Amino acid sequence: MTDLTTSDLTTLGIAEAGRLMARGDLTATALTEAFLARIESIDRTLNSYVTVTADIALNAARQADMEMRGGLRRGPMHGIPIGLKDIYETAGIKTTGHSHLKLDYVPAIDAETVRRLKDSGAVILGKLGTHEFANGAMTPDQPFPPVRNPWNTAYQPGGSSSGSGAAIAAALCMGAMGSDTGGSIRNPAGYCATAGIKPTYGLVSRCGIFPLSFSLDTAGPMAWTTEDCALMLDVLAGHDPNDQASARAPKVDYGAAAQRPIKGLRIALARSWYEGPDGKLSDDMAAGMEEAVRVMRDLGAIVEEVTFPDIRDYHICGRVIITTEAHAIHRRDVIERPEKFGYTTRRRFQLGAFLSAEQYISALRFRRKLQQDTRAAMRGYDLVMTANQWGPPEVFEDPAPIFHFLGKPSLSMPFNVTGQPAASVCCGFDAAGLPLSFQLAGRPFDEASVLAAGAAYERATPWRSRRPQL
Amino acid sequence: MASSNKAPTLEEFRARAALTGLTLTEEDIGHLHKGYVGLLRLMERIPERWAWAAEPPQVFRADE
Repeated sequence: MTDLTTSDLTTLGIAEAGRLMARGDLTATALTEAFLARIESIDRTLNSYVTVTADIALNAARQADMEMRGGLRRGPMHGIPIGLKDIYETAGIKTTGHSHLKLDYVPAIDAETVRRLKDSGAVILGKLGTHEFANGAMTPDQPFPPVRNPWNTAYQPGGSSSGSGAAIAAALCMGAMGSDTGGSIRNPAGYCATAGIKPTYGLVSRCGIFPLSFSLDTAGPMAWTTEDCALMLDVLAGHDPNDQASARAPKVDYGAAAQRPIKGLRIALARSWYEGPDGKLSDDMAAGMEEAVRVMRDLGAIVEEVTFPDIRDYHICGRVIITTEAHAIHRRDVIERPEKFGYTTRRRFQLGAFLSAEQYISALRFRRKLQQDTRAAMRGYDLVMTANQWGPPEVFEDPAPIFHFLGKPSLSMPFNVTGQPAASVCCGFDAAGLPLSFQLAGRPFDEASVLAAGAAYERATPWRSRRPQL
Repeated sequence: MASSNKAPTLEEFRARAALTGLTLTEEDIGHLHKGYVGLLRLMERIPERWAWAAEPPQVFRADE
């Protein structure tokens, strides 16, 4: 067996851990024990987990070891410890949605994505903190303490997949599931310096995941590297007849795609989104973005500025759809048990009651137009590149605004509105040591190009070797 | 957006809130009014008139 310390084990990549296990140099049990010990030791400062399933994880790890000793190798996720955002239903394990409304809810069956991960041999370490029902606000009246940013616990980790981002960055799991309706994978991935990909709408099943907005919700992987996200996506992608939006897309080897060179790849730079009238990047973020463009060009990609529809168009289109659909989903509870919601969540879910059918339908029509206009702007290009965040995350002491959409437009919303795959990639750190990130988005169902470019960038830069000190 | 989307006064909004079925405090109504008016302002970017071709599909498909 390889002589690895606990710290070495918890900072291994999924691919690397898989290779060690395949060679018999590492067991899933040792790996799982290392993560459980680290969770026990440091998660009290981060609150990334709301439920740790130590016994279940150890049993799954022993099962994986037994299978691998017997010659059964299920794939790259076999024996890999991961966490699940607590909106993913898990058989026999509480699924709270980080809400008082679901505190005692124990589902009978797993979400389709959880079933796929378990079938692949992944080890579930537990359930991760989120914003209540993934709505994008962390307030003190929610049932679990807020997740903290591992790079500086005075800062928010981003959300709503907050626990997923924080736990991966802090080496408390090797990968995690997030969900993304208006940026909830890419936002915490950016603020916590992890990788994360929002797949094309319809690529990954949402069956068994608490919904926020039927027509925008996506489920996707987060991990320390883009390559690891690709390995997770290999397991997750596929048609599910129980999700009405599930697509029948051809099977793709995403792990292999993450190894592809990107010479000749054509990238449309959406600079106007982050240098527009409604917002300006922080100086460090602007410098990080310029440097990221330079690296992509050095890798052989052709990066050219392209004019896309105004960022504010995507922002309001997505916001009207989310506000209306979230109200429809939670209407009964906001009428019958409003006191059970956090004060921000409640008001965000109530607001949809004031929107008319005409306004909702207009937003749907606008989405169609934005899809078409974005596709036209992307003609001749493989990817879109743009900033992922305006600057550093918010400080905990600053109260979160009830209606956050009244501030700067969301940089992540365009790809929720268009349904395209989009990934967050860390591109350095600001002067205060907080992470910077950019986005790469592909054509619908071309996750392969997104993963190839993200992984190539990570291999060419030093950022994956830096971890938060905890 | 259509002219029917003129920002309501707080009084008009309160009257409308009474028809929603929601149990709302005065504080709730104040916050919701601000949120709604802000949303309406942003919604001015959404066109008023649409060609039939802009009708959304019944099921949103990113692959079409």
